[in-house]
Amino acid sequence: MTDEKHWELDMSAGPIFVQIGKNVRQMLARGDLQQGEKLPSARDLAAALGVNPNTVVHAYGELERTDVIETRRGRGTFIRVDAPVAEMRKELLRDAATGFATEVRRLGVDRGEALALLEEVWDAGQPD
Amino acid sequence: MLANLTNVTKRYVRTEGIRDLTLQFPAGEVVGVLGLNGSGKSTMLKILAGLLMPSEGVAAVFDGPPRRNRARVVYLGETDALWTWMTPADAEKFMAGLYEDFDVARFRELLGSLEVPLRKTKAMSKGERGRLRLAMALARSARLYLLDEPLAGIDLLSREKILTSIVKEWHTDETILLSTHEVAEAEALFDRVIFLHKGRLALDARAEQLRSEGRSVVDAFREVLS
Repeated sequence: MTDEKHWELDMSAGPIFVQIGKNVRQMLARGDLQQGEKLPSARDLAAALGVNPNTVVHAYGELERTDVIETRRGRGTFIRVDAPVAEMRKELLRDAATGFATEVRRLGVDRGEALALLEEVWDAGQPD
Repeated sequence: MLANLTNVTKRYVRTEGIRDLTLQFPAGEVVGVLGLNGSGKSTMLKILAGLLMPSEGVAAVFDGPPRRNRARVVYLGETDALWTWMTPADAEKFMAGLYEDFDVARFRELLGSLEVPLRKTKAMSKGERGRLRLAMALARSARLYLLDEPLAGIDLLSREKILTSIVKEWHTDETILLSTHEVAEAEALFDRVIFLHKGRLALDARAEQLRSEGRSVVDAFREVLS
């Protein structure tokens, strides 16, 4: 799966285990990962990402603790079929909105102008 | 502990190699030994490998003198010393004859994954020789691996292959000490980083701990040097 999935790691952006967890949540929220999908073993993901296997084990542990993934004995690690995808989407959306609001405030733009700008950008199509 | 250094100093005739180093290495860590050229990285690894004796202090590997445990430790030296006539097949015979823990099947797998060409070493590039030397080292089954600058002077693609192989071959009960000055490329690999500066210990930290404090290993490295 690591061939198609896009992982973003930044050594200056906090612990890698946190970033791996965040990547999984984002992929789920965006539909790049599906409920019930199998994840690579910690060792394989570590090799693909070039990170320490302990770090991936740590990330998987956190994801398991927060009910995002589960380990099925002898079969591997899977996204839980009841992984709270809707909540993750909401969380991601809230992060994006907060980021936008914070930056806009920093630029000294008022609410009306900010919303108008958002609509303008929205209508201009989806940037990518 | 797999290995210990207690107040170890190594003096050379004209320069000091390392000074008053005290470090402990438990099982199950990938440790980055970081520092500039001449900071004492190689000296430290050679002492643990039993190739150099400390001038002062005590070095121990598996609770004994490193010299007596040489057969149980994998040491990959800095120098590109392979006989020019040697092919990977010759290297296999050589290593299998020398080390009981050399796993021929694993060696052949590593030759494949590291894409080592099956010709004589004199016809190989520096990167190819570096990959062959790493395959020879990683095909042994030891608890302690001392890899001195396995990335130095090697092309980017070979460096990536080398790092991937190290991740794949490492088992959770083994400890790897890997020295490098290619900090940015290797930093994601390390559980723990040790910075040496002018022979002294400048920092001993968990890599993820540094990152949780908002610093990459590279950032911390720069601070130590400044």
